[in-house]
Amino acid sequence: MEKIKNNKVVKAIGFNRIILIGVIILLYLIFAVLTPVLHSGADFVTYDRFMSALNYAYFIGFMALGVTFVIATGGIDFSVGPVMFASALISGFCLMKYNIPLPVCLIISLLIGLAFGTLNGYFVAYRFLPSFITSMASMQIAKGIGSVFTKTQSVTWPGTGNANSWYRYLVKWNNIPTGLIILIAVAVICAIVLNKTKAGRYMLCIGSNKEAVRLSGVNTKKWEMLAYMICGLMVGIAAIFYVGAYTTVQPGLGDTFNNEAIAACVMGGTSMAGGLASILGSIIGALIVALMQEGILAMGFTISYQYVLTGIIVLVAVTADIMSRKRKS
Amino acid sequence: MGEVILTMKGIDKSFPGVRALDKVDLEVRKGEVLALMGENGAGKSTLMKVLTGIYSKDAGTITYEGREVTYHNPREAQADGIVIVHQELNMMGHLTVAQNIFIGREFKKGPFIDDKKMNEEAEKLFKQLNIDIDPKATMSELTVGMQQMCEIAKAISHEAKVIIFDEPSAALTEAEIERLFEIIRSLKKQQMGIVYISHRMDEIKRITDRVSVMRDGAYVGTLITEECTKDDIINMMVGRVIYEDPKTESQVPEDAPVVLKVDHLNAGRMVRDVSFELRKGEILGFAGLMGAGRTETLRAVFGADPKESGEIFLNGKKIEIKRPQDAVKAGIGYLSEDRKRYGVVLQKTITENSTLACLEEYVKGIFIDGRKERKVTKKYVDLLKTKTPGIDQLVMNLSGGNQQKVVVAKWLVNNCDILIFDEPTRGIDVGAKQEIYELMNKLVKEEGKSIIMISSEMTEILRMSDRVVVMCEGKKTGELDIAEVTQEKIMNLATMRD
Amino acid sequence: MNNAKNKSSIIQKIDLQKIVIISVLVILFIFFSAMAPTFRKYTTIITLFGYMYYILLMAIGVTFPLITGGVDLSIGTGLVCYSIVGSYLINHQGMPIWVGILVTLLLGTAMGAFNGLVVSVLELPPFITTLCTMMIARGLGSILAGGLTGVWPVAGSQNGWVRSVFRLTLKNGTIIPIGMLWMLIIIAIMTIVLTKTRVGRYTIAIGSNKEALRLSGVRVIKWHVIAYMISGFFAGLAALAYGWTFTTITPGTGAGFELDAIGAAIIGGTSMTGGKGSIIGTFLGVLLISLLKTGLPYVGLQANWQQIITGIVLLVAVTVDMIRSKKR
Repeated sequence: MEKIKNNKVVKAIGFNRIILIGVIILLYLIFAVLTPVLHSGADFVTYDRFMSALNYAYFIGFMALGVTFVIATGGIDFSVGPVMFASALISGFCLMKYNIPLPVCLIISLLIGLAFGTLNGYFVAYRFLPSFITSMASMQIAKGIGSVFTKTQSVTWPGTGNANSWYRYLVKWNNIPTGLIILIAVAVICAIVLNKTKAGRYMLCIGSNKEAVRLSGVNTKKWEMLAYMICGLMVGIAAIFYVGAYTTVQPGLGDTFNNEAIAACVMGGTSMAGGLASILGSIIGALIVALMQEGILAMGFTISYQYVLTGIIVLVAVTADIMSRKRKS
Repeated sequence: MGEVILTMKGIDKSFPGVRALDKVDLEVRKGEVLALMGENGAGKSTLMKVLTGIYSKDAGTITYEGREVTYHNPREAQADGIVIVHQELNMMGHLTVAQNIFIGREFKKGPFIDDKKMNEEAEKLFKQLNIDIDPKATMSELTVGMQQMCEIAKAISHEAKVIIFDEPSAALTEAEIERLFEIIRSLKKQQMGIVYISHRMDEIKRITDRVSVMRDGAYVGTLITEECTKDDIINMMVGRVIYEDPKTESQVPEDAPVVLKVDHLNAGRMVRDVSFELRKGEILGFAGLMGAGRTETLRAVFGADPKESGEIFLNGKKIEIKRPQDAVKAGIGYLSEDRKRYGVVLQKTITENSTLACLEEYVKGIFIDGRKERKVTKKYVDLLKTKTPGIDQLVMNLSGGNQQKVVVAKWLVNNCDILIFDEPTRGIDVGAKQEIYELMNKLVKEEGKSIIMISSEMTEILRMSDRVVVMCEGKKTGELDIAEVTQEKIMNLATMRD
Repeated sequence: MNNAKNKSSIIQKIDLQKIVIISVLVILFIFFSAMAPTFRKYTTIITLFGYMYYILLMAIGVTFPLITGGVDLSIGTGLVCYSIVGSYLINHQGMPIWVGILVTLLLGTAMGAFNGLVVSVLELPPFITTLCTMMIARGLGSILAGGLTGVWPVAGSQNGWVRSVFRLTLKNGTIIPIGMLWMLIIIAIMTIVLTKTRVGRYTIAIGSNKEALRLSGVRVIKWHVIAYMISGFFAGLAALAYGWTFTTITPGTGAGFELDAIGAAIIGGTSMTGGKGSIIGTFLGVLLISLLKTGLPYVGLQANWQQIITGIVLLVAVTVDMIRSKKR
């Protein structure tokens, strides 16, 4: 056992991450076996199901990447789902109703995400509000703004084949999952930012011991706020990939995705107590979340089971993290 | 002197890596005040926590009123009549005085709490103690001294037979201490056994009957207060260490320039009009009792807490320090007494901690220059002789002394010229202490640094400082050159009240 | 000296915050009445109260975890879950109505107990714990009730009396918001619980200094769990109030309800840092939020603005709370 843990390759990826990859394979096998049994006539091992799971993994993945930064600083962002919907709704509304060019709309989507990230970051870093309550407040605001802007109408982005539909190539281009490539590319950038730059170093240290960092002469407020802003930007990207995959967005929804993004992070080994974060882990976590929801639906269960499972997963993951911390100290 | 009510024999207690108590004996008699003395970290509080069931003992026996007892929690001890008045106040600030005193054993009228009766009972208690406190007042609005009195009232209300006072006078004013002594004397008359933990020699002489001394977790001996002198007690407390190698004269050249000047600094209740100067190559000691405002003063200088007024001059030039950033930029480094909370980032590596204060210098383009960062860390690990398997070791895996060295490295990497050491050796074992001292001396002599050292350990002050500033209750009460310093002079200044 | 002391204590006794809230309430009421003649109707009051009951019940409950320094986010989706399951038993399992009512309350209390145990024994952060149970409750209601919409008896049907519990219609057609009477009674009872019983005393003590309470020999875990159980029980009561006021409950809703309740409690002077809070204050907070929510559509803002208002009110309330607790 120890030998395996000390292996170079294993160390580079991380033992927990390898276990998680094992979990993915195991889940896939379980779903593959159980789906035809529980839901006669259905088959889990199909190209369509695979792509459908990936579609789900994209936007959860981008959100999880963003939330990873926030959790790294010891905070939490409960607003990502509704903010993603607000971004998609408002930019989509601009595209469809005001005929604003598509590239501008995509940028609007990013900016809306960024704006909410900035709002959260400001109140948490500069006004010292607890991050969970701040982000829950902005969650409500995001839901409300989405509804108000679109007059409570759902927005449908252009489908494939229509004008202005090239944004869908970001998700899938001629059966190539471009979304996966982009997600991985962004994840690599995130990993570099988190582990190789000053910003990332400060964020992790703030999550670990904010006061010590402040007393080292670091402007902690600035860096803490930046983490929330990065998160907001990622949510803006997630919005594009959401509509890229599903085209239609409804106002007033999205909060279930918060938990799934957080679940992806904590499963991946990012500690709720702050200071420890794994980008790779969050991506794998997002894949597990996506696979789970695909499997649950394929087996003929309702999405309610996904909610319950997500809740339990986060509870177990956080308990495990706290226990291991207690053991260490 | 009365019969023995409580005997502790051969008490052992270990924490991971530390032997906190080593075969300690203690004997408390009815109707007497026993002083329990020892330096910080000698094990007095640990012993009392073992007695009252907060910690479990590894070995030894406790005999109370003729039978062997083991308490598993404070409640059991309380029920038996052994109560402790804690050093750190255990108050629920949002509740009233009476509610605090009777927490956990409220008087009830049917299903309801009888606050009226609790107020009356508290009133009676205060009358008995001759204290004027309104039982209905909210706890957080009282002064620290009054809160302490409430703690004592709470202890007495348990029908105690043995009361332990853990440094009760640290936060009290002179008048309050008088009141406290009256109370203790009256408790003594009621044939209670009293254990009084304190550092204040004059108090020991005035109020106690016997003195038991501990050193480094071990029992040293017991003296009859009347028959011994201060020096006897001090000798037992510190062994030979105190006279080991004290500085006899300042080693700062006459013409050394003033690097830091603080003028009429005010910051809250604990920092009132403090002025001092630090010269190049000097170790300036800050002496005083706990709660004298030394930490508060230097935190304000460093910008960690807001100031009300006062000016700071660096090398003769006035500078504004509003936040720690300003101080760090000006080349001032602060090493907190609580290094786990304020000094190091425990879950990060030595390298990450070392470059924390000036990471921008270790950035190439947008990336952190890992090689440069590791190089400088390696340099300071070697220079400071930090004991670690490698520079990628997490700081949480290092010992206290080595953690302290990581903090020092952080400031040296940042090229700080002025270092503020707040209790530099607290929680650090004896061998490592020596190393920290050598390091500090080396910093001023070879590296041209200037050091401000806050210390509550007299030995440390006498041994390290070139000059000593003494504070009491937020004010600077004196300044002494090391050549003229004596322990008595410092103690006098440290207890100088107006 | 003595005089100054008395003076300050008099100022402290007059609770500034409550005066501010009451003034704001009056101003808002005048504003809405002046802007919209339709607002000044008796039926508006009835509607306002209808919206208020379940929020008030949740808010009273959540005041307890808040005072311990924690929070309970599970009450919103929990409310929907309990209400759906309770009505499902009556409609689809043929249970008598009292079983449905009992199960609704029990589910809430059980969820509260679970939250309390995880928070006090495993020492997980309350917001994470209750976020998870919020999620679990959201799915659980649908799973237990087979995805069916919850329906409580309507007026005139069998067991239709439940409709009259909060809203009594007299023979001549007059509607009496009798629920308000129950609310006042509950406010009185819970005020006594908070200020005059050990439950309340220890709830405050946990929020003020948990370690000191433990050292005083009090079994902290027990009382900590009870605080969360109160929150859960009141979520159960709110589930009944919601069901009996609006009759149908859609599965999967309820997210965001908890924010109205928490926001109301904080507006009412309950501190996020714990140790401080009052039921009357919470009541005033609920009045304010409900008034805003019912009043805004009358002055031309769509109902969607309600969520934005909730968010902004919450941010402002917590910011003020932070500034005040920092001053201490």
